[in-house]
Amino acid sequence: MVALLDGTAHPDARAAFFAAASDDLAATALSAVDMSVRIGSLTLNAPVMPASGCFGPDLGALIPVGELGATVTKTVFGSARGGNPVHRLTEVPAGMVNSVGIPSHGPAGYLATLHPRYAALDAPTIISVGGHRIGEYAPVVAALGEHGAAYELNVSCPNLDRDGTDIGSDPAAIREVVAAVRLVTGKPLIVKLPVLVASIAACALAAEEAGADAVCVANSIPAMPLDAQTRRPILGNVIGGLSGPSIKPIVLRLVWLASRAVQIPVIACGGIETVDDALDYFSVGASAVQVGTASFGRPFAAVEIVRGLRRRSLDAGVGSIRELLDLDAPR
Amino acid sequence: MSIDAPVVTPTAATLRARAAVAQARAFAEADERALDGLVSVRPRSAVPRPQPVWDDAEVLVHEPVGERYRRLVLASNTIAATAQAGQFLMITVPPHGGDTILLPRPMAIHRRRPATTDHPGTVELIYGVVGRGTRALAAVPVGGTLQVTGPLGRGFGFPPGTRSALLIGRGVGVCGVMGAAEDAAAAGIRTTMVLSGQHPDQLLGRSDCAELGVQVIGATDDDGSSDLTFLATRLRGHFDGTTPERTPPGVIMVCGAGVLARLAAELGAHWGVPVQASLEAHMACGLGYCHGCAAPVRTDPSVEGPLVCADGPVFDAAIPVV
Ligand SMILES: Cc1cc2nc3c(=O)[nH]c(=O)nc-3n(C[C@H](O)[C@H](O)[C@H](O)COP(=O)(O)OP(=O)(O)OC[C@H]3O[C@@H](n4cnc5c(N)ncnc54)[C@H](O)[C@@H]3O)c2cc1C
Ligand SMILES: Cc1cc2nc3c(=O)[nH]c(=O)nc-3n(C[C@H](O)[C@H](O)[C@H](O)COP(=O)(O)O)c2cc1C
Ligand code: FES
Repeated sequence: MVALLDGTAHPDARAAFFAAASDDLAATALSAVDMSVRIGSLTLNAPVMPASGCFGPDLGALIPVGELGATVTKTVFGSARGGNPVHRLTEVPAGMVNSVGIPSHGPAGYLATLHPRYAALDAPTIISVGGHRIGEYAPVVAALGEHGAAYELNVSCPNLDRDGTDIGSDPAAIREVVAAVRLVTGKPLIVKLPVLVASIAACALAAEEAGADAVCVANSIPAMPLDAQTRRPILGNVIGGLSGPSIKPIVLRLVWLASRAVQIPVIACGGIETVDDALDYFSVGASAVQVGTASFGRPFAAVEIVRGLRRRSLDAGVGSIRELLDLDAPR
Repeated sequence: MSIDAPVVTPTAATLRARAAVAQARAFAEADERALDGLVSVRPRSAVPRPQPVWDDAEVLVHEPVGERYRRLVLASNTIAATAQAGQFLMITVPPHGGDTILLPRPMAIHRRRPATTDHPGTVELIYGVVGRGTRALAAVPVGGTLQVTGPLGRGFGFPPGTRSALLIGRGVGVCGVMGAAEDAAAAGIRTTMVLSGQHPDQLLGRSDCAELGVQVIGATDDDGSSDLTFLATRLRGHFDGTTPERTPPGVIMVCGAGVLARLAAELGAHWGVPVQASLEAHMACGLGYCHGCAAPVRTDPSVEGPLVCADGPVFDAAIPVV
């Protein structure tokens, strides 16, 4: 009666999902689909990774992390921070709004507690780094040293030196941050841009010219959810960041604009739930994708996208995602 | 029309509605403050926590319970076999009527029934339909499957040598503590459970308590017996130590309202026994990495307070010593 008792070798769906990995990898070994993507000196085996704040080493037991191109940590700040008051998140139609406030134990705390658990996973660790002043990024990256396979600079943070406008909305500030970090590390640098900017092209170009190896487009979008009954703010912080499927059309436009402006890879992030969402972003110029909100309800979403991309390529008899997209190109 | 300056005299119905809103607001505010300084993360238990899994669990039973709640029985051998008292699941709610629910919903594991030779292992949940997510959940048919992740969180634990326990649940909070009643029954711990709710016909858990041999104390808003002062006096009287049956409990476990957690902590201080309280928070991951589920307590702004999913949902509760 229940699938679980049908004599299958797997006690639960998670175990079956892990087992499917070996079948799938065996298939790839036979007919090569090259899904690798280069971020500076780092080669990712697959163009799919989690979004910062939407992954933790705890997931290592729930999904085959080794099938992902990389893991991405929650943003690490220079000093310890406590995070925002309750509630820190809620759901809205086609999205969620979070104001977690990015609690952080600082680089030393991260290295002592979280990093060993990331390092034990079978994928390179991209460490996300944040700051509230231009000068705060480089010391954190320096303190993290060789531990990050790459660093993702989260510049969607209010700049306390300049009236609290996002560092990432100011191309000059992006340039300063990236140049300073470039001096302290030879590791690949990804700059994760905010959505609310005057010109995403100018921001992406500033990152590229200052020495970034990729840009990630984009972070969540400032929003304010109200309680339907009381008409009061739901979030303790009043405002938070909107993410999930509702932001995909907005971010698609930004990815399209950014990829036309720079030569370095653009990593797309915004409302990706399925293989087709990923292919949409690849078709407007993205080289890789990050999966955030979708992972909460479906922890295996990112791995499913990797498997789906490989399966579609195999079925179409092509060896890469680019070729797969060419098949869809309008004639 | 101006939005201020009401010219009509409010009707009796309007006044009643206003009073109800004011009462609900006052309760919510008291409830919010009730936990401040009260809870702390429980010391690590000697029993390791089970490894969470996710599963596509078949819906075996899905039926109304009274007017407000629904019972959901799910088949999952792994989760039924490993879940500890007070642990919870994250339920991924399938799309319903054009509405897509993104975040999984946390639900307490009300009952665990491990697999037998002819039945799969099951977990039973009882939930209230309160918003979009639970409305969509209510539409899932028997025979369908639900993706669930669990068992999650740190549950209740009986201190070594416990001989009797007092459990307190309000509304669906009863489900948070019923697992402890199961463990108590299995370990021969004499258990009394307060079932609190608005109306007598809404008290959950009566049949479970009967099955598990738990003595029930009903408390409802209707007759005022759920009033905190009244309830405290009644419980002190119930456990006044005059006969062996009236010996104060060795532990108190509570779920369902901050004010009840505070009441339990006061009773715990009075009797000199430990108190464990299960808390709620909005959640996204349920596993401890999204940091969305801060416990509803005030903490030092430079250090992160406890997370309900990973450090709880069950916390120690004690009246702070001033
Ligand atoms: C550990 C734990 C165990 C729980 N056990 C039970 C149970 O056994 N039975 C039961 O009926 N309910 C239980 N709840 C509460 C249940 O999760 C919420 O009622 C449910 O999430 C509401 O979803 P909704 O979409 O219908 O409501 P909405 O109000 O529309 O939800 C909007 C958002 O807020 C969140 N939210 C709203 N209220 C709560 C709440 N009280 N707790 C957590 N998140 C909330 C939702 O998850 C969603 O993200 C439990 C909560 C926790 C944290
Ligand atoms: C709960 C939560 C926490 C997040 N934390 C971070 C963070 O620490 N650093 C960061 O750069 N982005 C953070 N983000 C933003 C995501 O990485 C991502 O940019 C955004 O959610 C959009 O992608 P999505 O629609 O796939 O979720 C967070 C998002 C969520 C939902
Ligand atoms: S729900 Fe994600 S940390 Fe608790």
